[in-house]
Amino acid sequence: MNATVHAGLAVACLAIPTALVGIGVGNASAQLAANEASASEQPQVAVAAAADEGYCSADLKKVLRRVLQSCGLLSSGEVRGCQPLEAKSVATLAGDDFNALFLPLAERAGILQFDKESSELDAGDLAMLDRIFADQRGASYFFVVSRSSPEGSEVFNRKLSEERGKAVLSHLQATFKDQDLNKEVGILWLGEEFAQLDQEFCSWQRSGDSGACQSQDLNRSAFVAWIDCRL
Amino acid sequence: MRPFTLLFLVAAVCGLFFAGFSTWDFVAHLDRDVHDVHCSFIPGLLASDTSASSGCHVTLMSPYSSVFRATVWGGVPISLPGLAVFAFLLFRGLDMMLNRREDDKRATTFLVLAAALPALTSLGMGYLSLVELGAACKLCIGIYISSFVALAAAIGIRAQGVGEDMVGFGREFGLSFAEGVGFVLIPVLLYAAVSPDYTRYVGSCGSLAKPEDANKVLLPIGQQASGKDAVEVFDPLCPACKGFEGRLTASGLESQLKRKALIFPLDNSCNWMVSNTLHPGACMMSEAVLCADKNADAVIAWAFEHQDEVRTAASTDVAAAQALVVAKFPELKSCIGSPAVKSRLNKSLRYAVANQLPVLTPQLYVQNEKLCDADTDLGLDYALTRLLAGQVGSKESK
Repeated sequence: MNATVHAGLAVACLAIPTALVGIGVGNASAQLAANEASASEQPQVAVAAAADEGYCSADLKKVLRRVLQSCGLLSSGEVRGCQPLEAKSVATLAGDDFNALFLPLAERAGILQFDKESSELDAGDLAMLDRIFADQRGASYFFVVSRSSPEGSEVFNRKLSEERGKAVLSHLQATFKDQDLNKEVGILWLGEEFAQLDQEFCSWQRSGDSGACQSQDLNRSAFVAWIDCRL
Repeated sequence: MRPFTLLFLVAAVCGLFFAGFSTWDFVAHLDRDVHDVHCSFIPGLLASDTSASSGCHVTLMSPYSSVFRATVWGGVPISLPGLAVFAFLLFRGLDMMLNRREDDKRATTFLVLAAALPALTSLGMGYLSLVELGAACKLCIGIYISSFVALAAAIGIRAQGVGEDMVGFGREFGLSFAEGVGFVLIPVLLYAAVSPDYTRYVGSCGSLAKPEDANKVLLPIGQQASGKDAVEVFDPLCPACKGFEGRLTASGLESQLKRKALIFPLDNSCNWMVSNTLHPGACMMSEAVLCADKNADAVIAWAFEHQDEVRTAASTDVAAAQALVVAKFPELKSCIGSPAVKSRLNKSLRYAVANQLPVLTPQLYVQNEKLCDADTDLGLDYALTRLLAGQVGSKESK
């Protein structure tokens, strides 16, 4: 056996895997260093964030922030709900303009219709409320805007709308046991004297008798909606 | 040159060729990036596979593609010793031919034994590939065929040899075996020695900013032994999550984790953070997992097994996909789609928002430290072992 040939062949054949390892690992190391150097130029992965839909204009956010701060949502949550006059002053809007803020929410909102002089949620109200609240998606705030129709005294109606708003909140607290509820749900009880809903809202999803849509039906109500805006 | 000798040399060269491409593809991933892989019987001449779903990709990313994974990042590719063995067979074949030893029974007997090694290994790897992984890797098949042809040719060479003298075979076997060991050890040790240092990446890819689970959205999954707390972000219909689960199980490190799942479906019917639905039906399937609660492991396992079926059904009709789930788990029927579970799924997504998690799956956080995304496949054993041991690297490399 020719030992020189044997050794020469061994070296030559061994060079194949050895060279491949050396070149391959060397290339990968160089690429690794290049990737690190250009890390800031690489496309970044999106980061999870709350929704901020197109209708969240700067003006809308400004008004929402005022309302939310006044109503306690942006604070510790110790303040719960707004007085009608406060709502009017913080919104600095006419009633129609205030309602117009919520028009883009037609697909997200619902109107819970109560019986006259009642703040009790019936089965239809509860089913709709649960469905709308469960469909939070990326929204950060859940608005409950409760109203009363103009029959009766202002004081009684203010109290009644407050009870309607709180009935909604109590149900949500009991049903969903959401630790974030106090930071998410804001109630405005408007009584009868501010931002009554007009016939334009008859086409929105409503509980109760869908055929009846007189002004008093619409306003013996709690308007509920998730607001898909980041503040 | 005798025909069987020529055949043997051709088989050895083909084996070198296929094992070389396979090793090259593996080594390219040492830069922690995503790469195309060669997946052809004529690699280099046809375009590389970019789909990440070919048998070659599945095999390369499987736990069987390398060994010593906890020691070397990605492990030592199994194709590297394969490459070295074919180089050794080529060496032995050329040596036998040039030194005119084709009639030397000692040389041809050793050649048969040496060629039997890759052939037996091919049988084992072929079984794992086809049966365990359900993947047909063309490069691997090329290696298997080269191995079997080399063995057949070696047997032919020995059968045609006229010599019968086996005196001194033991000594020759010992020396030749040592040469073979050297052929394998030298490139393997070189590989381990020159691989980059990856320790600095461990624990440098972020952490959970608000790990408290006030809304109880995290779902215990897997073994709940006395392991370290871990949060796994996943989508039950995500193929990468299924692959990750397989690698985690194969790593044997799952038993050291006390995992909780954060369900994060990449489906815009419930997840507003994704503009396009990547996995149709993932929201419904996620609700099923949450509904199952203590039985979540069974639902997740079923979802992983039937991912394609559910996604295909859901792409035209989610109700049809839901029917598949309910047929298997009838007890979940009234829960899937209910306001309560939709709200819980939403809270799960909001946990991701609170922690500003990247919108991708899978992710694993061990004691709040993130396993780097680049370490969820080949580098899993290496990085997770160190993360579990608390050996986190420099934050400078974040």
